Amino acid sequence: MPFKLFEVSKEIPERKEHTYVKHCNDPEDCLPTCNSKTIPGSMTERGCAFAGAKGVITGALKDVAHIVHSPVGCTVYGYGTKRYPTTTTLPDGSEFPIKDFNIKYIIGTDLQESDVVFGGIKKLRQAIRDTNKEFPFVSAIYLYATCTTGLIGDDMDGLAKEMEEEIGKPIIAFNAPGFAGPTQSKGHTIGNNVLFSQLVGKFEPPQTTPYDINLIGEYNIDGDLWLLKDYFKEIGINVLSTFTGDSSHYEISWMHRAKLSVVRCQRSSTYIAKMIEEKYGVPYIKTDFFSTNYCAENLKTVAKFFGLEEKADKLITERMGKIKPELDFYKEKLTGKKVFIFSGGPKSYHISIPIEKELGMETTGVSSMFEHEDGFQKMKDRVKEGALVIDDPNTLELEELVEDYDIDLILGGVKEKYLVHKLGIPSLLIHSYENGPYIGFEGFLNLARDMYSSIYSPVWNLLEFQETEEPDIIDPAEELEEAK
Amino acid sequence: MSCINIIEKERSAIINPMKTCQPLGAMYAVTGINRAVPLVHGSQGCSSFVRYSLSRHFREPSEIAVTSLHEDAAVFGGRRNLVEGIQNVAIRLKPSLIGVITTCSSEIIGDDIIGFIGTAKKELNEKLGQDKAEKIKIVPISTPSFVETQLKGYDNAIKALADHVAEPGEPNEKVNIIPGMVNPGDVREIKHILNLMDTEGIILTDISDPFDSPLRPSATQYKPYYPKGGTTVEEITDSANSLGTISLCKYAGSGALSLEKKYNVPVELGPIPIGIQNTDQLLRNLKKITGTDIPDSILDERGLLIDSMADLSGRYLHGRTVGIYGDPEITAGMARFVGELGMEPKMVITGSKSPEFIKDIEKVGKETGVEIDTMVDQDLRTMEVYLQENPVDLLIGSSDARLIAKEQNIPLVRVGFPVFDRVGYHRKPIVGYNGGLHLIDLITNTVLENYYENEHWKLQQ
Repeated sequence: MPFKLFEVSKEIPERKEHTYVKHCNDPEDCLPTCNSKTIPGSMTERGCAFAGAKGVITGALKDVAHIVHSPVGCTVYGYGTKRYPTTTTLPDGSEFPIKDFNIKYIIGTDLQESDVVFGGIKKLRQAIRDTNKEFPFVSAIYLYATCTTGLIGDDMDGLAKEMEEEIGKPIIAFNAPGFAGPTQSKGHTIGNNVLFSQLVGKFEPPQTTPYDINLIGEYNIDGDLWLLKDYFKEIGINVLSTFTGDSSHYEISWMHRAKLSVVRCQRSSTYIAKMIEEKYGVPYIKTDFFSTNYCAENLKTVAKFFGLEEKADKLITERMGKIKPELDFYKEKLTGKKVFIFSGGPKSYHISIPIEKELGMETTGVSSMFEHEDGFQKMKDRVKEGALVIDDPNTLELEELVEDYDIDLILGGVKEKYLVHKLGIPSLLIHSYENGPYIGFEGFLNLARDMYSSIYSPVWNLLEFQETEEPDIIDPAEELEEAK
Repeated sequence: MSCINIIEKERSAIINPMKTCQPLGAMYAVTGINRAVPLVHGSQGCSSFVRYSLSRHFREPSEIAVTSLHEDAAVFGGRRNLVEGIQNVAIRLKPSLIGVITTCSSEIIGDDIIGFIGTAKKELNEKLGQDKAEKIKIVPISTPSFVETQLKGYDNAIKALADHVAEPGEPNEKVNIIPGMVNPGDVREIKHILNLMDTEGIILTDISDPFDSPLRPSATQYKPYYPKGGTTVEEITDSANSLGTISLCKYAGSGALSLEKKYNVPVELGPIPIGIQNTDQLLRNLKKITGTDIPDSILDERGLLIDSMADLSGRYLHGRTVGIYGDPEITAGMARFVGELGMEPKMVITGSKSPEFIKDIEKVGKETGVEIDTMVDQDLRTMEVYLQENPVDLLIGSSDARLIAKEQNIPLVRVGFPVFDRVGYHRKPIVGYNGGLHLIDLITNTVLENYYENEHWKLQQ
């Protein structure tokens, strides 16, 4: 039977179609149902389209002021929630005055009852003026619809046009209210479409090289981008635009000038790579840079495109040499440990094979809150027989999973972390990371170290009070010494 | 002479708010009920973001359900979502109570929440049988996010409990306490005070255990996991029969007033017992309601705090200027306490519009003789700009201003919600005499680290 109904979900039998148990003889299209509406009241871990647009796609830009057109809540919850740091360097060589501006400030219209009745455009207009006065140095102003403004029907696009003329700065509206689409993925789509249609192709880069790439779907979580950029630089490849980690407004507008688009997060942003290919003929490749093998393979692929294989090989050998001894230690410690990956999107398929092949762990199951069929196909391909592939798992299913599958570690988000701890299972943040970056060679070592620290924390041996004293206490320090 | 300068908001846009929306307050309140589930009638983001915020602050699970409103509901209404949502929560989670919390979207589309709950109840009766179905209380809590702040949402939740759950019965000799949106450490301190006063309390609602719960897998009930503790539904029912209600949060008095109106339960509103005088007032209120004498043991605790203040305030704290920001209740309480410490609350700022807050600060101005720049309906950006011109020695407030504090080189004592970049703050009280002790240690050590470390010989004695 390829599908599983959790005991806790027996009252909502439609959940069965969302939990696929891998069977090697199944036809290709045997996948969990996904990208469909969540069953009301089922304790989903999903977010909303607004979160997808602002929280994922645009929030990482360093020189843009974001105005959330909403009652105060959406503004607050869009504030500093993701760890994507930024530098102050702009592509034309000038300096943006504030580091991490994107993390530091969020602007809102603070809609009140009267605005809901009479419309909020007046307030949004004033908010744009206020923003321009308060932060005159920003390159552009982005506006976000929310449930409230979506429902009252404020015409943000019209206002953006009008105000662009008045303040002389690009203003872009994102109509991704929270209720749009079944998951935050809808917000990704809207974000990509808007940025493509309004920005890409509008400006030319200050300079180009024959080795220019777009790095797409890389949001610089915990500094991921900076590691990757170093690699590319060493190989001789120039990142012309990043979509959108540590990136800037105008950088997006010359994505059409790259020679190749390299897509990292394949859920949130393959859309834009496709559109750039269709309109401007820039080819794109989907890549994985998590783990040493994937990173090496994919760096080689990108390097090969430019005929720079040798430089890539040299970098790979050097970086691997540096991390290998420590990584070997973690492999020994982590071998056989069972992991469940509860990530937002692609990490569920990026990480499953590396932790098995390179660290000897076992992927018991993978899941996502907002993946589509293509992503679930990859998840399915990359897990072993019997592993679970779950769409939109809910809290109760997570509890059952922990109880029944003897899991050693859960990779998840803040909402899941503390719950599984209560059930006696270590958990590690995979969305914004614990001690990242997690990308590339050094990053994979960080991930291995964090998994090791979580699983081997002495606390897990102390969970229950023992009536009698343990006779032999193994000194973990000695053990570590011996292992080395 | 003292006076306060009220600084009005000049800008229309809100930049880095220091308030949030009503539903968060309601979700917080429902979490304080034993085996209760907050069910948010809105988009998935409405539960997701609040769960994230609460989990980040408390480092605890925050189990909140959502009815997942989408485009079709926006057009045709959310009836099906709510009825189905209630059923799924009721059947799968077997809760004692479901708090149905509205949002922007469900308020705007005008869903008839009470009607929908009626339908859901009927269907539940058929599915579960009347006995089981009736054990699950379903309480509608109206919390449009475009009205006021999280405190109003908290207030509306407590009022909804008073209106829909409380029932008259035998007098119980207990005191109802509405703690306000405080931390587990604070609620524990309040219970400690009640204990010393030999008074039984009904805490409306008690988040102390649900948001600070032991990790004991063997004792954890799997499927579903509920944290231990919280006020039981029976206690809430019994709140109609108490000697009186003390709302420690002035801004959350509707539930108390409702109990007074319907069941003649007398009310005392505020103040939040931060510092000496406010805690003294709590004791007097308790005495007034219960007739219990104030025991020596609690006066000893008061004496310990006074002792500590006498030892420290003149030497290290006197005259140091302080900026305080956050929700109006805690900000006003903190302003009074720093005044009692001989410090100068030069700037207080809150995100809500509140005449009560201004009155409280006026009082502090009179007591301290300090000219206090008072800002209401403001945001953190206003504070940032203000501080550039008017620096203070110390800031007190949430983690949200951590970057502002760091950039302006002003030490920050973290108090309020949210605090996510330090640990332990939710466990320790800021209310009561013990809370005062904790605060004075925190404040003094921060002052020592920042103003004395460079010349550490000054700390010889």
